Amino acid sequence: MMSLIKIWKILRHNTLTLLGAGLVILIVLMGLLSPLISPYDPNLMNIPARLQAPGWSHPFGTDEMGRDILTRVMYGARISITVGVSIVVIAAAVGCFFGSLSGYAGGKVDRGIMAVTDMVLSFPSMVLALALTAALGPGLFNTMLAVCIVRIPLYVRLMRGQVLALKEMQYVKASRTFGAGPVWVVARHIVPNCLTPLLVQMTLGVGDAILIASSMSFIGLGAQPPMPEWGAMISTARTYAIDQWWYAAFPGLFILMTVMGFNLLGDGIRDILDPRSVKN
Amino acid sequence: MEPILQVSHLSVSLPGKNGPAPILKDISFSLKQGEILGLVGESGSGKSMTAFAVNQLLPGGGKSITGGSVLFAGEELTGKTEKQMQTFRGKDIAMIFQEPMTCLNPVFTVKRQMTDVIMIHEKRSRKEAEIQAADMLKKVHIRDPERTLSCYPYELSGGMRQRVMIAIALSCSPRLLIADEPTTALDVTVQAQIIFLLQEACQESGTGIIFISHDLGVVSQLCSRIAVMYAGTMAETGPASEVLKAPGHPYTKALLAAVPRFTSGGVRDRLYAIPGMVPDPSEIQRGCLFAPRCPHAMDICRTEHPPIQNLGNQHQVSCFLEKGVSRGDGIS
Amino acid sequence: MTAFLEIKDLTKTFTLKGFFGKKTDVHALNGISLSVEKGESLGIVGESGCGKSTLANLMVRLEEPTSGDILLDGISIAHKKEKELRKLRSRIQIVFQDPYSSLSPRMTVEQILTEPMQVMGQYTSRERTERASELLELVGMRSSSLRKYPHEFSGGQRQRISIARALTTEPDILILDEPTSALDVSVQAQVLNLLTDIREKMKLTYLFISHNLAVVKYISDRTAVMYKGRIVEIGPSLSILTSPMHPYTKELLAAVPIVGKPFCPPRETAHETGGTDAERGCIYYDRCPIKDEKCRRERPVLEERQEDHEVSCWKL
Repeated sequence: MMSLIKIWKILRHNTLTLLGAGLVILIVLMGLLSPLISPYDPNLMNIPARLQAPGWSHPFGTDEMGRDILTRVMYGARISITVGVSIVVIAAAVGCFFGSLSGYAGGKVDRGIMAVTDMVLSFPSMVLALALTAALGPGLFNTMLAVCIVRIPLYVRLMRGQVLALKEMQYVKASRTFGAGPVWVVARHIVPNCLTPLLVQMTLGVGDAILIASSMSFIGLGAQPPMPEWGAMISTARTYAIDQWWYAAFPGLFILMTVMGFNLLGDGIRDILDPRSVKN
Repeated sequence: MEPILQVSHLSVSLPGKNGPAPILKDISFSLKQGEILGLVGESGSGKSMTAFAVNQLLPGGGKSITGGSVLFAGEELTGKTEKQMQTFRGKDIAMIFQEPMTCLNPVFTVKRQMTDVIMIHEKRSRKEAEIQAADMLKKVHIRDPERTLSCYPYELSGGMRQRVMIAIALSCSPRLLIADEPTTALDVTVQAQIIFLLQEACQESGTGIIFISHDLGVVSQLCSRIAVMYAGTMAETGPASEVLKAPGHPYTKALLAAVPRFTSGGVRDRLYAIPGMVPDPSEIQRGCLFAPRCPHAMDICRTEHPPIQNLGNQHQVSCFLEKGVSRGDGIS
Repeated sequence: MTAFLEIKDLTKTFTLKGFFGKKTDVHALNGISLSVEKGESLGIVGESGCGKSTLANLMVRLEEPTSGDILLDGISIAHKKEKELRKLRSRIQIVFQDPYSSLSPRMTVEQILTEPMQVMGQYTSRERTERASELLELVGMRSSSLRKYPHEFSGGQRQRISIARALTTEPDILILDEPTSALDVSVQAQVLNLLTDIREKMKLTYLFISHNLAVVKYISDRTAVMYKGRIVEIGPSLSILTSPMHPYTKELLAAVPIVGKPFCPPRETAHETGGTDAERGCIYYDRCPIKDEKCRRERPVLEERQEDHEVSCWKL
């Protein structure tokens, strides 16, 4: 594995990746530590202090129930990161399995898997996720399931392409000549050699997943109020958007920061893990 | 006669692990019109870098050249801007590479790629360019030029692709053709055909050719002059017949002994293998760079840089052995 | 007595599917028969597309033959199921041409060398590492290289690692599929010498595949010349090199660049021709300089012309 020093050497000159990593770390820490560092209880209502503009006691202002928006945004980070990461991990795991199977087995299995994949990919992912959630019933878990299903084909495609290319490599052939079976070949040769593109795709995917999940909550299909989910918060804030700008602005800002953070980090990881990118 | 290409004391440095590493050190050679120069050496000897330096295509641009000059038909090429070089490249100086597939655009037909080059450099109409393209393919002995023109690169065999590349390279009648290991990936039979083509092009149009190879066998068949490079230095230059018959540098001699031959000896005798490896340019070296692998190395070889000796008849060798390894002190 | 390795009428046909489902058959191998003695080294020479690599792939069962059989000590390996093949696989190993794609970039040399033994369930983990370091020394590399990754080595060194990997399962037969054609001439000499030494030391049988007849001489006792999926000439290497009989062998020999040998321009007919196999007649008909009417109508078969030297040509 590459030493941390080397990673730092590459990172030092890559401001955007650093920014991305910083944002991601900030958001993750915020989510993890929210019970400790948040000034209020996220669900504590304080009707007299409703819809207060940002100030000393409430840096991000309060919502229509008088709840502290800063606190809610912090707890929201928790939800969003959990949602994003679990969607990506599950989608990648399932996608990689079917992708490897498709690429390695070929023939009818391949054609079957790819037909389903292409079908799913031909829908706009938002529309499909919407339809699936509607069918499953609103709620955060069902939204996650739906987004997950929508994201799986990306990993199937990626993995299949990698397997097809790597299958022809002579080291894979050599492995077969001493009797290695498909499971061995995939585990020992193919997966380690596709980790780079997979990791990049996954990092970029977290941002996307968070965005879709928030959008679903915004429409009212995902997380339900009073859960401090960013999308759901913006959804309720719509009514107050004109006079109380801060209500929608801060959750929106954090969605932006999170998605941008993961995207920048994903691009950065691609650069770091590509051996050709090691410049002096 | 004035040489078409005169490279003198060329030095090139590229960024390495520990700061800039010298890739080429004091390289000098010249090429006359209609002459074929064989540039020989192992991978890492700097032969491809020399070609890039001539064409001003070095990774770091003109900054990489730390000294010396490249005169093409009397004109200095070092220090030329990218834009100025573009008028030379393709038209006056053409290049072909080992893997033609990477140089041909996979999404266009051969016709499109050939006519584009001709139209840009020769300012012809598409109709004229098409006729000329077919003519060029005939010249490289492609039997059915019309059919080949309508092919995509992947539809052609390795040998055919290399022929097409040569046809493209020759289509603007360049004065200098740099061929970087053009036959290394090919079968021996196809290799012989490509050698034949290059010889013909050189005789017919007077194009000067720099033929880069690691195989002295191939070079011996094609070139009139040979330059042997080792670790970025010029070990030996001279007329092919002399260098091959009486190599002055121990490295040349070793390379010659490594070429498989079937004219002498029985089955399964051993080939001469040069021990060790080409040194890493980023490490600081002293003395003759070949000394660690040289069977004739003396104490002085390890401390001082060998002088350039003139063996007569434009045959130069950079070695401490008097009059070179073949004629000198009887070592061999 | 059964031969050590016997290849019987081996045929491999690939079916290419055209744009509209039109199928065309390509005969990569067309009825190859060979027998190899234990400890012998057989060279197989031909241009790309002559079927020599297909033969290598069939030998290590990366592909299955369309018909015909490969017998090792009388046991068929061509049509065995993967499970029954286990034992036999360890006896035949292969070294590929490309030193770059033949080693996984994400594995250390130790992992690369122990993998075959691990797959085959040979030895304990410590024994495997010991064996890996022994083999590394056998191919002329330091055992400290075990912890390095392939990208830290040159082409020649990588090819040495590939050879060491092929030796880990203690094979009887080594298939060498152009192991030196991607290397510099100077490095090629090192690898060829190494292969000669190893063969003597370990009493191996070699099938050495190459497109350069001159290289084959340094490693093979016998040489077979292949053209379009068939053997056109086979015999002792020295006899093939000094007195080739088939016009194709002569063409191949003439093309080998040798220092001191004047260049002989290739014949105009020596152009690559389409892969279509003539229905009847000699397969070399299109390129042959001495063909006549009979060559077009009837296909010659391999016949013994000198001791152990077989040629398929009418015009001798």
